[in-house]
Parts: sequence; structure tokens; C-alpha cells
Amino acid sequence: MNARMGGSDNIVMRSLEQIGECGLFLLRVLAAIPRSLRYLRETVRQLWFVGAMSLTIIMVCGLFVGMVLALQLYHVLSIFGGTAATGTVVAISIYRELGPVVTALLFAGRAGTAITAEIGLMRATDQIAAMELMAVDPLSYVAAPRFLAGVIAMPLLCCVFCALGIFGGHLVGVTWLGIDNGTFWSNMTATVDVWQDIVNGVIWKSLVFGAVVSLIAVFQGYTTPPTSEGVAYATTRTVVASSIAILALDFVLTAFLM
Amino acid sequence: MTEPVRAKSDDRVLVRIRGLSTVLSGKKVFDAMDLDIPRGKVTAIMGPSGTGKTTLLKHITGQMRSDAGEVRVDGQNVPALDREALYTLRERIGYLFQNSALLTDFDVFENVAFPLRQHTRLPEVLIRNIVLTKLQAVGLRGAAGLMPSELSGGMARRVALARAIVFDPMLILYDEPFVGLDPIALNQVLKLIRTLNETLGITSVLVAHELEAIKQVADHIYLIANGKVVAHGDPKTIADDGSPWTRQFFGGEADGPVPFQYPADDYAEALGFKRGEA
Repeated sequence: MNARMGGSDNIVMRSLEQIGECGLFLLRVLAAIPRSLRYLRETVRQLWFVGAMSLTIIMVCGLFVGMVLALQLYHVLSIFGGTAATGTVVAISIYRELGPVVTALLFAGRAGTAITAEIGLMRATDQIAAMELMAVDPLSYVAAPRFLAGVIAMPLLCCVFCALGIFGGHLVGVTWLGIDNGTFWSNMTATVDVWQDIVNGVIWKSLVFGAVVSLIAVFQGYTTPPTSEGVAYATTRTVVASSIAILALDFVLTAFLM
Repeated sequence: MTEPVRAKSDDRVLVRIRGLSTVLSGKKVFDAMDLDIPRGKVTAIMGPSGTGKTTLLKHITGQMRSDAGEVRVDGQNVPALDREALYTLRERIGYLFQNSALLTDFDVFENVAFPLRQHTRLPEVLIRNIVLTKLQAVGLRGAAGLMPSELSGGMARRVALARAIVFDPMLILYDEPFVGLDPIALNQVLKLIRTLNETLGITSVLVAHELEAIKQVADHIYLIANGKVVAHGDPKTIADDGSPWTRQFFGGEADGPVPFQYPADDYAEALGFKRGEA
């Protein structure tokens, strides 16, 4: 607080202050979740907005990530005569790292910014205050449904991303570059471990990334100054903070889950 | 701690403010101010910009806490209420925002229905009838299917008014309800405020600057300046009051107890002139 009030430009202190405020905000949102179950329809509406509406970008990007990955790997592996492992390496790369991380980055850019801008504009146009005065708790009606929707949508989007990534890898590896179809699938199914790669890689990571991105997006929107400049800065901060948090947490989670 | 709800139907004062003191960003907004809002009347709060009129409404609704003093609404001390009790009280208060504050995701019908859907389990038919009745009262039943972005400023204000009265509140707070309205819309809003007050017995508090409009609709006027009530009474009494405050405010004069200029350095020096120079 002093850093802001006193005009200190200590960026470390300001960042720590933001993290502290964000942590307290998370507690308030978690406390509001039981009350937000009354607004199930709003949660479903948000799930559509952040989940279903993000499908196009997730599917297109998943497809191209898989395609380019197969193309690069095929050329590298062909040096060692190991092109048969293309499917395996594509799958493991996508399940363990690229799937959750790229989905989360895309989710932050597509849905996170939209959540921040929407809540920020609701604050700027007094819609949040109007809810308070209509005896409707904005944390339960606005913040918690968006947070929940993000946590639920991220693993589902990540699964779609991974499926399209594998399909893209198959398209390039088998259809274009001529790897044997049976070798591609059998090597992949023999190597991919459901617990290590799917549960730890896809599910756990995307759940954590979904919670972090949604929290940052809702927090930035909820606490933004009610001005057009404030909303613009808040959306930018959502992307920057989410990207850093995703990549940093990816390292931490990988270290713990491996 | 929650104050017990005390029914005070015999009390002629709905909102009682005593010793209200508020300091915002180092500036004293209210200085031990006393003020009473009579039940069933239309009361106007007037005063120069920045005197805390909207802040006063925020104290009444419990959006903002004062540094000292008591704000009682229908006998309940608002700052002492817990969240549940405050929300219960707010269900009986309507609030009209200066910018309408309609929910942009919903159409006009759903905006007006919003409080009913959140706080009641009424059947859809009944909700529809209540909403259409309120929209008819503000002359916008035909606009039920429009989105807020399709409404003019005056229409949005009337939709917000329909939403504010959908629960038949005991008190409505109007924050600058006449700003940006054309004469027709202004007249309609004035009539609505009066009609709601007379037919439903709703107590109304208006924060506004438009003296002519206020004279038509208000039963009682408070003039606030320097953190205190500097004049109050019915519109005629206020108009005839010869105090420097009322003379300056209602006469629109730059000179008087309310400074027109924000405190600043010497004007000549700011323009680069030195004292004694021709």
C-alpha cells in the first residue's frame, strides 16, 4: 500500500503487493463459490463464453502445432533413422508440455482478456455497484462463475488441443511424409503412460493453469480503475501476468510431477 | 454486530443522520452533519459540485462507511449492519444511477426482472406481469425486447427507474436523475417521481442541481456546503432565504462563500508576470 500511496517505484514491492492482494481475492472468491451455486445458469453461460467460444482458436492452433512438430521431428529423427518414433515424440511433447502450456497461453489471450475487459467495463459503468445495491453479491454472481468456468473449461480445451495436435502430427507424418500408419499409432500407444502423461500432464497442469489464468483475469477486471485507460492496462496485465505465471508454474509442476 | 430490526411505522423520519463525519483523501467531506429525510416525502439534496451529495447516498446505502456518526434507515443503524442485514435492507431501497447502470448483457425486460429473479421464486407468469406493469408505468412496455445499447439516455434512465421500483421499495435514491434529459423526458421523469411518491407512498431522495425541476417535485430541500447543511426547508422557503449560501448557489454567482476557483498559485505569476510589472 505504501509503495502506491507514497509513489515509490519499487517494482518488486508493487509486484509482491499485487500477489498478496490477488491471494486475498482468491480467498474471497473461494468463499463466494458456495453462494454462486445459486447462479448455476450464469456459470453455464460463462462456460459457453470462455470454453465453447474458444474452441476455434484452440482447434486451429492445436492442429498446426501438431503438424509443425511432426515436420521438425521427422527431419531430425531421419538423421538417426528413427522416424518411426515421430508419433511417440509428438504425443509426449504435446501431452506433457505443449498441450497444457499453449492451451493456457491461448486461453489467457482469448478468454482471460475478455473476462478482464468485461468485468472492468461492468465496474466502469456502475453495473457492479448496481448489483451491490440490488442486494446481489458481485463476487458470487460475477467473479465466482467466471473463475469456475475457467477451471472447468481449461482441461476440456486442453484435451481438444491435444487431440487435434496428434491428428495434425498424423496428417503430416503418415499422410504427407509416409510413416507407416500402424507404426505411428503402436509406438505412441506403447510409450504414452496414462498416469504420467495424461493425468499429470494434461489434467493436473491444465487445471492449475485454468485456475491461475481465471483468477488473474477476474482479479484484474475486478480491481481495475473504472476508466478506459484502466481497463486497457488491466487487459494487458492479464496477458503478461498469466503468461509469466503459466511458464513459471509449468517448470514447478513438471519438477514435482515427474 | 447486527442491529435488531425495529419497525418504526410511527416515526415520521425514514433516514436519520446524526454527527456524520467523513474524510476522503484528506478532505473533510462531512463535518458532524445532521440531516433527516421525512417518510413519504420527496427530499432534494443540493449543493455545489464535490460537496459529497453522492457520498451521502453511499452512506445511506452502506456502500461507504463514515469516520464518525450515525446513519439510521428505518430505525436500523446502517454502518453496524452485517452483510446479510445490509442486503435485506437494500432489497427495500431503490437506487437510480446517474448513468442508469443497466446490465448490458440483458435486454430491457430481463434488466427489470433481474432483482425479482435473484430474490424471489415467483412463477414466470407473475414475473412477466410485474415487469410489464413497471415498464408500462415508465412508458416503455413496448421497449421490453430492446438491448440497453439500443436505448437513448432518457429511455435508459426510465428503464433503470422501472428496475428500481420493481420491488416497491420504501425508499428510492435518485443520483442526478435529470442530467442529459430533453425537456419531454425531464417532464416525464418529474411526473414519475411525483406519481410514485403519491401512489405508492415511496420516500424519495433526489440529488440534483436543476432548481426549477426540483421546485416542481420536492417537498423539502437540503442545501449542503462545507460539510454541513447550510440551509433547508420547502422550496419556497429556500428560494426566499437570503443567506449568502442560497443567494450564491441559486443565483449562480461566482463570488460568495463557495469558491469558484480551485486553490492555485498566483495567476499573474503563473502567466510569467512579476509583481509591479505593467
